[in-house]
Amino acid sequence: KTFHFGACRVSMSLAEIRAGFTAIKANIQSRDPIRTLSILSHPHSLHKVKSADRCCIAHQLLTFYVDKVFKHCRTEDSFVNRKISSIANSFLSARRRLGQCREQNNCACGEESTEKFKQILANYEGLNVTSAAMKSLGELDILLDWMEKSR
Amino acid sequence: GDALLPAPQSISILSTNMKHFLTWSPVIVQGATVRYSVEFQGEYEREYANGSWIPISECSLTTATVCNITEDISATVAYKLRVRAELGATRSPWATTKGFFSRAMTSLTPPELRVVADGHHVLVELADMGPSFQFRVLYWKKGQESRVQQRGMKDVSSVVHLDTMEAGAEYCVKAQTHVEAINRSSSFSPTQCVRAQGDTSVWL
Repeated sequence: KTFHFGACRVSMSLAEIRAGFTAIKANIQSRDPIRTLSILSHPHSLHKVKSADRCCIAHQLLTFYVDKVFKHCRTEDSFVNRKISSIANSFLSARRRLGQCREQNNCACGEESTEKFKQILANYEGLNVTSAAMKSLGELDILLDWMEKSR
Repeated sequence: GDALLPAPQSISILSTNMKHFLTWSPVIVQGATVRYSVEFQGEYEREYANGSWIPISECSLTTATVCNITEDISATVAYKLRVRAELGATRSPWATTKGFFSRAMTSLTPPELRVVADGHHVLVELADMGPSFQFRVLYWKKGQESRVQQRGMKDVSSVVHLDTMEAGAEYCVKAQTHVEAINRSSSFSPTQCVRAQGDTSVWL
């Protein structure tokens, strides 16, 4: 399907990503003991980000997951590892397309998205890396819901 | 003890309609049952996870010389696959695919199409090919090849009403698949034409 992030139109197999996540969601979320905290939604929901800033923050979030999250989510469960690999490679593919569009369209990062992403990083760095990575992965449906809204 | 067992040879990937299989030649050891284990590596693992490999559990210690890798080749990036032979505690070196494989390289075959005239109605039936597939159906009145109409279809679980025919006219239909994830389409199926005559259709 094609998604609109600000000026960028990107086709992504979100259904495949969501299917992969749904298959491991319970397992991943069971590894996250701190249920009172959110990395993506604290203090404000992603849905508050202005349309013009969506392109920038979408690219930042894909990069966040690729660079920081997936590598710290390796488990003892082969099935879970395979699904994480599937999601990670899908994010890599989507980020490449969004990155190309971002360069062509020069979709700048507004103050709001910069602030929002800073907050996400602060939430992430406030926990030890494995807990933060597992929590971020467990919140993937928050990100997918937000992206799905971008159709 | 690893070097005694030779690595599997002729390792290759067969991919048709988004179904991907790794195959290799058997390693023959007289009087023994050799087993094989398969692992994959996506672009993410190469670039961000220290070149790590991920085992495919369904193809761990298998006696088969083919492995269905469809579930794991689930992003449009470049993958590598490898397989090794195992006999007891002895393991062969890994045999790794030369070059990369991306699902965009899959070969797409035309869809199976069935066209039926039911009275004045043209009905089509397409074989289901999985969630990745959409269908593009072209149809026209014979003799009016310049006025082709088209219909996109995704859910093909049942017969679809395509059009209502003028009495005695002949209508022709062909179809192709489209896979959005790789942005490619198959070639068209052979054209099928039908003409309605009362309740029975005439295959031409």
